[in-house]
Amino acid sequence: MLRNINIGQYIARDSIIHKLDARIKIIITILMITALFFIDSFKGYFLFLLAVLFIIYLSQISFMRIIRGLRPVLFLVLLTLILHIFFTRGGEVIWQWRFITIEKNGLITGLFMVSRILLLIMFTSLLTLTTSPLQLTDGIESLLRPLKRFGIPASELAMMMTIALRFIPTLLEEADKIMKAQMARGADFESGNIIRRSKNLIPLLVPLFISAFRRADDLALAMESRCYHGGEGRTKLHELKVKTQDFIALFISILFSILVSFF
Amino acid sequence: MENKRIMLLAETGVAVALSAVLGMVNLYRMPQGGSISLEMLPILILAVRWGGVPGMITGLVYGFVQLIIDAYVVHPVQFLLDYPAAYMLVGLAGFIRIKDIEDKKSSYVRIAGAVLLGGCGRFLAHLITGVIFFGSYAPEGQNPWIYSFIYNISYIIPSIIISYIIIIPLVKPLFKYK
Repeated sequence: MLRNINIGQYIARDSIIHKLDARIKIIITILMITALFFIDSFKGYFLFLLAVLFIIYLSQISFMRIIRGLRPVLFLVLLTLILHIFFTRGGEVIWQWRFITIEKNGLITGLFMVSRILLLIMFTSLLTLTTSPLQLTDGIESLLRPLKRFGIPASELAMMMTIALRFIPTLLEEADKIMKAQMARGADFESGNIIRRSKNLIPLLVPLFISAFRRADDLALAMESRCYHGGEGRTKLHELKVKTQDFIALFISILFSILVSFF
Repeated sequence: MENKRIMLLAETGVAVALSAVLGMVNLYRMPQGGSISLEMLPILILAVRWGGVPGMITGLVYGFVQLIIDAYVVHPVQFLLDYPAAYMLVGLAGFIRIKDIEDKKSSYVRIAGAVLLGGCGRFLAHLITGVIFFGSYAPEGQNPWIYSFIYNISYIIPSIIISYIIIIPLVKPLFKYK
């Protein structure tokens, strides 16, 4: 009945990478992207790329899917490359035309920076591709739990995230419904300049917000009548558990990041 | 007391979902990659309804949700500043109190102040990320502050103006609905 809206980028597969503990995956990701900043040769990047390709292979996600994820940063990548090619000086002159010169160092640093950005995005997108939003939420909650002592309510934050993730598809559908209803009454959401267009959104946004806050009301009532009382002493249906393979993965990535930092 | 806390929890969750939905609608795509969208609006409204701290929590949660849904990480510090910190600072708007919604003159000015404060908070976080990004990726000798300032101001100002235009008709019904 409901349209199947996918939020996030998660692709369900039955792979070793998917089965790893979400917390371990978050830690590994942070570790690896930090290590990436210590690499200062193309050899190191090549090793890193091999590792990324190996993980992609293990995760059974198609390589093209990862490549497609790089598209939004294309502008950034091109800009970085162009800036370096024209402004970083040093080395022999590769190409010259009137006042434009391209020197070797510019080309090399440009390519270096671009490889770094691309590897970063590839690695971080692996995390969101192989871990469902709910698992990630659980992972973040568990990693934030030690901060409770400083007054950060980790479990409440996770509850809010869960509610948000649960309501995104509902509200998308609601927005669609209201939009169609207003269009049937002659509302126009597409023409005009940006100010005009945002003003035209008001007949969509007012009912959307009111209905959303009404849903929040119902939700709060339902939570209260089921005796929700915050994070203290709450149990979970699916507890996160660190297994042997998680330790192995963590161990390998620590070793790898130390090794690769020397390149 | 308990009731109010749960109410806030539920409202925050739903407001974050609203932000995510509005974030998917791009009003205008800038040529250089940024986009103008209304994702700040629900955070601003929650901040105005409940105050500064709940507003900042809403922003923080939205930042985390964005990280989960679609984040672009180009630097280890950038993802903290660009997502959780930037939206958390939008919640600063809640520190400007709107006392009497019927008093149109004073409440319009106060709402403008709130939206501006929230927008500036977000701008600040993105400004610093921009500097970190340019500092570690762009060639040396270029001033990263100017680049980052121009890039970020180019979409923050329109976002602030549009948020203000739309928040005015929204605040009144939502204020009474409590």
